[in-house]
Amino acid sequence: MSARGLFWIARARLRADRRGVLLDAAAACVGGAALVFFLALGLGVSAAARRMFPADARLVEVIPPVVSLRGVLGGEKLDDLAVGRLARIPGVSAAWPKLMLKVPVAAPQAPPGLAQSWPPGMTLQIPVLGVPPAMVADDVGGERFEDPGPGGTIPVVLSRRLLEVYEKTIAPAWNLPRIPPGVSLVGLEMPVRIGLSIVPGKGEPKVTPARVRLIGLSDRVPMYVMAVPLGTARRLHAEYGKEGIYTQVTLLASRPDDVPAVAATVHRMGFDVDEGDQAAAERVGAVVGVTAGALVLLSVVMCVLAALAIARSLSASVAGRVREIAVLQALGATPSDVRWVVLLEGGMIGLSGGVAGTFLAALVSLAVDAVALSLLPDFPFRPETFFAFPPWLPFLGAAVPVLAALAGALAPAAAAARVEPARTLS
Amino acid sequence: MISLSGVEKSFKDGAREIQVLRGVDLRVEEGEMAAILGPSGSGKSTLLHVAGGLDRDYRGEVSVAGKPLDRLGVRELARLRNETIGFVFQSFNLLPGLSALENVMLPGMLRTPDGEPPGAIRVRAMEVLERVGLLSKALAPPARLSGGERQRVAIARALFARPRVLLADEPTGNLDAFTGDEITRLFAEMARGGMAVLVVTHEERISRAAGRVLHLREGRLS
Repeated sequence: MSARGLFWIARARLRADRRGVLLDAAAACVGGAALVFFLALGLGVSAAARRMFPADARLVEVIPPVVSLRGVLGGEKLDDLAVGRLARIPGVSAAWPKLMLKVPVAAPQAPPGLAQSWPPGMTLQIPVLGVPPAMVADDVGGERFEDPGPGGTIPVVLSRRLLEVYEKTIAPAWNLPRIPPGVSLVGLEMPVRIGLSIVPGKGEPKVTPARVRLIGLSDRVPMYVMAVPLGTARRLHAEYGKEGIYTQVTLLASRPDDVPAVAATVHRMGFDVDEGDQAAAERVGAVVGVTAGALVLLSVVMCVLAALAIARSLSASVAGRVREIAVLQALGATPSDVRWVVLLEGGMIGLSGGVAGTFLAALVSLAVDAVALSLLPDFPFRPETFFAFPPWLPFLGAAVPVLAALAGALAPAAAAARVEPARTLS
Repeated sequence: MISLSGVEKSFKDGAREIQVLRGVDLRVEEGEMAAILGPSGSGKSTLLHVAGGLDRDYRGEVSVAGKPLDRLGVRELARLRNETIGFVFQSFNLLPGLSALENVMLPGMLRTPDGEPPGAIRVRAMEVLERVGLLSKALAPPARLSGGERQRVAIARALFARPRVLLADEPTGNLDAFTGDEITRLFAEMARGGMAVLVVTHEERISRAAGRVLHLREGRLS
């Protein structure tokens, strides 16, 4: 029989039993809707968690050992030699040394144009971290992140998350104006004083005025520091007579799978691995993943129940129309045709339920978003939506109920194909 | 057109084997209407199912339109039933979920992919319905038709594929005398048009229209 004929007969059959079809499609719809809703929720919350903890799964943060006998004897210093050894670990594609500036830097006045948002008399002490240009190369939009030399405007990079924290926590707490939507702070310049500290006794005898210019925002910069070129940090250390040992080295593994082996080698070399951010991200990711996984499993169970409901319903339907099936065979259908008709009936039920379920899930997610956003207070990294609908999700939402319905239709279809027309029509 | 030679058929009833057909020989030619009479349970329907390729569990030789049924595969046999044989049943066997028109369209929709497009099938089904006088009821479901009308729809469905053979199983069994005569006249008309018509019945009146009447007793034709 032609596919067209099979569809025509299956559709006509479904039309004849609208009530049963609606019930079966409703079962498939609930399963599909639950699957799409929970998957979208899991993906949406995961995306929000990644924004909150933007840990790169390929990064390994190396720090000097907290306790070490060899340290007492002068080993495990994060110097250039150590950085070279770390860079040669198999699976490491880059090693970026970071140098916390020991010379205090403070901003006694606001950047030009932002004086109204600067509390009167405030001097802002700024922790400064020297990082190699390659580490933030993707975040500076082609600008040069290099030491400008004495007297030059120092390019700086801030954490992307710092702005979110400013917007949602610092600005409301200090009653400061928020950054207007669409306005970028990149390009902003600010006067600073190198050597100035607000802590008595911590300042340097020599205070040098300088200017910094924000050239980008990066997830690789720690939240509460201002990143300057490593060359600038080295120069200032030399200028102020400070020790130039790196505080941390960030290793970039070639693949996330290489990270455990890289971390193990780092430990064998006598260094520690700072798992603070990474561990937090992994914990949050694990909680979100396990919760979403459990909910998706629940929706898969619902799809299986829908398949069983469809199987029971189609079995009853086939048993109740053996005579019709025999007539179809008398008119020229083969047992295989009859099997396909029943499978198509199941498939069409699953498809209609799956499509309806996907729409239902989208509607419910919109409603949940609206309710959640109206009830939750504004906090840093609060997502605009708790759901994510990648393009493949609607297809999955339709495909899984179809597969479930087809699975449910297998046994009834086999039973239909076994109908003997001569015996049935006698 | 229809040829049965030495056909034997038996059923198992527990350990007992019941012989229904015992060496049946029959030929029905083009343009001939043959009637097989016999009481209920005499094996008339079984004979018709064997002749129509619905029952393959028999001994002997059966051929329709020159094709020996035992040498045809499942698909070829289904195609033969679709294109060459028309069936009419006592209880009409219309599909309740389809309209009269859709029931008539069924054989066309069941055809292999090289069949007519749905539009052409629909037009031809209307023509056949008109031929049996039911064009005005084309969109009615079987439940809204009288017994005679349902049987005429069933006949229209059997005629749709322009079959060369028509097999009818007690076609007037559920009809009143007037409607039964009308259906019988229709069969005779088809035979005159060149079709081989084989009707099994236990009613004497239908045999009056048949060119040849045979009796099935104890599994044998006489």
